[in-house]
Order: sequence, then structure tokens, then C-alpha cells
Amino acid sequence: MTLPGGVFAETYAQDQALIRTRGQWIWFVGFMLLLVLLPAVASGRVVGIAITIGITLIAVLGLQITMGLAGQVNMGQSAFMGAGAFICGALASKFAIPFWLTIPLAGLGAAVFGAIFGSAALRIRGFYLALTTIAAQYIFTFAMLKLPASWFGRSQGLRLDPASLFSFAFNTDRRMYFLVLLLVVIMTTGAWGLARSRTGRAFIALRDNDNAAEVIGIDVFHYKILAFFIGAFYAGVAGALWAYYVRYVQVDQFTLWLSVWYVGMLIVGGLGSVLGAIIGTVVIRLLMEFVTIAGPALNQYLPQLGSQYVFAGMNILLGGLIILFVLFEPRGLVHRWNILKESYRIWPFPH
Amino acid sequence: MASLLTYIINGALMGLLYALIALSFVIIYRSARVFNFAQGEIIVVAAFLIWSFFFFYDLQWWLAVPLAIGGSILLGLVIERLILRRLIGEEVFSFVMVTIGLLILLRGVVLVVWGPDMRFFPAILPLAAIRIGPIVIDPALLYGGIFTILLAGLASWFYNRTQLGLEMSAVAEDHQTAMSLGIAVRKSIAISWALSGAFSAIAAIVFLNGKGLTFAAADIGFAALPVVLLAGLESIGGVVVAGLIIGITANLAAYFLDPIFDGGVAQVLPFVIMILILLIRPTGMFGWKTIDRI
Repeated sequence: MTLPGGVFAETYAQDQALIRTRGQWIWFVGFMLLLVLLPAVASGRVVGIAITIGITLIAVLGLQITMGLAGQVNMGQSAFMGAGAFICGALASKFAIPFWLTIPLAGLGAAVFGAIFGSAALRIRGFYLALTTIAAQYIFTFAMLKLPASWFGRSQGLRLDPASLFSFAFNTDRRMYFLVLLLVVIMTTGAWGLARSRTGRAFIALRDNDNAAEVIGIDVFHYKILAFFIGAFYAGVAGALWAYYVRYVQVDQFTLWLSVWYVGMLIVGGLGSVLGAIIGTVVIRLLMEFVTIAGPALNQYLPQLGSQYVFAGMNILLGGLIILFVLFEPRGLVHRWNILKESYRIWPFPH
Repeated sequence: MASLLTYIINGALMGLLYALIALSFVIIYRSARVFNFAQGEIIVVAAFLIWSFFFFYDLQWWLAVPLAIGGSILLGLVIERLILRRLIGEEVFSFVMVTIGLLILLRGVVLVVWGPDMRFFPAILPLAAIRIGPIVIDPALLYGGIFTILLAGLASWFYNRTQLGLEMSAVAEDHQTAMSLGIAVRKSIAISWALSGAFSAIAAIVFLNGKGLTFAAADIGFAALPVVLLAGLESIGGVVVAGLIIGITANLAAYFLDPIFDGGVAQVLPFVIMILILLIRPTGMFGWKTIDRI
């Protein structure tokens, strides 16, 4: 990665810094201000979309760590998210535990659930592993529908009160937005840090060749389980936020189909980078909103679709996008973005 | 006692239906080294083709069925030609992604072409239940079981005894080595996609005979996963054994455990068995063991 002209690191701390130049600081502060001020200027619908994007982003970031960094194919992210949502729902509605405890606890619970399935990754690889994680989805649904009704409410699901802090309740979209934004910032920073840490480098070694990783002294068993543990932790936090946002948790909200969508977001954004997860989630979520708006127009040309046009349109769009990206840009949109940034920096020289 | 026997026999037959679907997965995996996540959607496309030929074009079954089989063979070939061929030599990841993309795309296309409504799938196989003493058997499943055993035998013979089949087995071992030995890798892969398409159409007939058909029928593809993985992704004969094991265990569980758990055990138990066996033998019961060396 080229640095902007004239920028050199003189100390180790400078070499480690993420934000280097005054221009970058201006962009960063401006962007954060924009995010904080969004609910004040945007309509209620936009805030709602932003909340969904934020929650999805946390789940997709977790998947990026398991799949993009550590290379362990995971098709059960939505089951892990569901586990977090149910744990959070049960803790909040049955034991009246405040949200600043339920959210991390939901993350931990989901992480343990994820690590159990992740331990299969020690022996199982490639397609076998991808298919094994699908089993997590079936077992999650079965467990939630069969465990005693007093635990997770079976098919009725759980209802919970809004998250609240000292009589301040996050009961409107605008208030909820700030809770989601705070967690998105924390989790994104965490993922960024993880990717550049010793653990992140171990994950990448594992992804590139797990036999070779073992030979150079990486504890494969430990890191494979850790990859699933951290990825599922993110999913659990996302699930808990989802529970507080819709205030209703039910098995049908967490399907295999949702996991498939998360994988799709990663491919379009770009595997292996935090920015890729962000770009993929935002782009696909916005495309989904676009289809929802454009759907009625589509319905005029294809009347036999009825109310299914949104679903059909989104599937064709996302399915087509995934195939095109795998064939023509396997490194995702983030790669295009990096090229763009690079050519801006070295302009007017040809790239 | 008789009802227990009915459970076991129908479980075995249901397992053989899963084995038939598993065969269409395994055939592609053997030569293309691809696990086709979109197999369930291909079954649905085949089913809708049969429905269209029957009720939209008013054809007789002996014309509609071969046409639909031809249609799904063509679909397999088109997918292979347009998408998978460009990925020969890429890593596992790309194949997982591209077939997932295909799964999503095909579902959308099916919705646009045939709509979300429930259709009645024609009864091509007889509908009246077969009774042997007190035991009741679903005739579609019985015919399906016979098809499965015949087709698995045929495929097994093809891969182990014929020149072309042996070449295709070599392709399964390693694309580059096979290519350097003068084997037409692309042709082998195309043949396997075509074969798999044909098997999908037959599976659709057995599975949906006289029942309702919607785009959601594709879930049968995922339901057949335990059989595929238990057998091992490369094993053709193994799917029959795995199908019988999974089918009989699931139905025994339905008989003994469902009253305790209030239903649902038969759907989830195959996945539990699958994980347990994979932990002991990571490539299934009959899959090829590869040794990693650095």
C-alpha cells in the first residue's frame, strides 16, 4: 500500500498508526460526525435502514473473521446470531438483567455454541466443513423449538422490554440507533485490531495452508476454535442487538437462507479485510432497499409474481452478483476501492 | 409390531430417495471436485419442467418425462459451460461461493418463471398404497428405491469398468495430472453435469409424485446432505448404504423418540449422526482418504 507523498514513519508508534495525515483525520472526524448526526437530519425510514445495516455489519464482521481471515467456511452464522438473540431475550425477559450485561453474555453464549461446531474443523476440511456448519442451523432450530417452553418460549418465541439505562429507554429508532452505532464502532475497531494482531496473523497462516501453519509452530487446534469462537461472538452481539431492536425473538428469524446472504455480502465486499465486510454489507443492504422500492414497478411487467417480486428480484440480483464477482473480481469491491485509492495517490503517473 | 415394520421399510425407502439425490451430488463431485449447493434448485427446475410439459403443453408422460430429463441435462451443461468451466484449478472457496450464488440466482429465476403458487405435480408413478399384510408402503418410494439401486449399480459399473468412467475417476483424483495424461478433463466434467441433471429429474419424479410443488421443494437438497457426507463425497456405492442407515435410523427415531420430543427428531437426528461419524472419519464412511504432505 502506497502512503501519500511525503509521509514517513520516524517512530514505531507512527509506523503502527492507522490514521497518518491531517487529510485522513479530517475525513475520519467528518465521517464519524456524519454518523452521529444522521438521526437528526435523516427520515425515520433511513434511520431504520441504518440500524439494520449496523446489526448486519456486526454479524458479517464475525463471519469475515472466521471465513475471510481464518479460512474456515461457515454457513451457520445466522444460527449463532439466533443463539445470541435467544440468550439475550431469556436473560432480559426472565431475569431482568440490564442490556450492558446481556449483550456481552449473549456474545459469549453464542461464542461457546460456535466453538463447539468449530471444534469439528480440526478434523474436517473443505466442503465437508462447509456442509457440517449447515448442521448447526438444523440443530439450533430443533433445540429452540424443543427446549422447555419456560427457557426460550419454543415456537412462540420471546418478547422483551427495550434496553434501558437509568430510566432512559432505547425505545425509539433514533435512540436505538446510537446503541447500535456505539457497538458497531467498538466491534469494527476490535476486528481491525484483531486482523493486525498476532492472532490475526496466525489466522491468515491457517487460511493459506493449515499444514504449513502447524509446521511453523501455530497451534492449529487452538486457533481454529478461536476463529469460530470470535466469529460467533460477533454473531451473538448482533443477535442481542436484533432482539432489542425488534423486541421479539423467534426461530423463523434465523434461517439458513440468512447465513447464505451473509456469505454473499462477504464475497461482494471482499474476503479477508474488515473494509470489505463493511462495503459488502452496506452495498447489498442498499441494493435490497432499492429492490424493495423498485419492486412495484417490476411487478407491472411480471404480474404473475404477486407479492414475491421483492424476494425474486433480490435473489436474481444477489445470485447474479455473487457469480459475477467470483468469476471476474474474486477479491471483491474492496480491491477496486484500493486500486482507486492507489491511482489517486500516484496520479498523474499511470498505475 | 407391524407399524414398526412399516416405519422401518418406509424409512429405508425414504433413505434410498435421499441416496438418489445424493448420487447427483456425488457424480458432480467425483469429476468436477465441486459440491453443487444448487442441486436442490436443479431438482426444482426439473420438477417445474415436468409440470409445464404435462399441464401447459398437455403432453403424455412418455413424452414429458424424457423432455424434462433432456431439459435438466441441458441446464447442467449450460451451468458447466458458462460458470464452472472458468473456475477449473481455482480453490475450494470459489466453488462454494459460485454454487451458492447459483442457488440464490436459480431460486429467483424459478420464482419469476413459474411464480410462487403451489402447483400439483402429476402422478406419474401409481398413487394407491401397496399393502403387504399389515404393512403399508408408498408406491412412489418403492419405485424410487428400485431406481436408486439400479442407477447406483449402473453408475458404479460405469465408473469402475468402462474406459470413459475410469478416465473420469482419474479426473476426480487430480485435474492437472489427468490432463497431462491426455484425458479430456472438460469433457469428463461436462458429462458428469449432464448425468447429474438426469438424476435430478428422476429424483424430482419420485419425490414429488402426486404432491404439491413450490419453489421451497429445493430444501430436499439440504435434507439429503447427511447421506452425502456419511457416504463420503466420492462414493457411489456408499450412498445406498448411507441412505439406508440414515433413513432407517431417522424413522426408528420418529417411532420411538417423537412421542417424547413431540416430533422433529427425524429431521435433526441425521445431522447429529453425520457430525459424529465425520469426527471419527473426516471423509465419510467410503470417501477417499488423502494424505497431506508438505
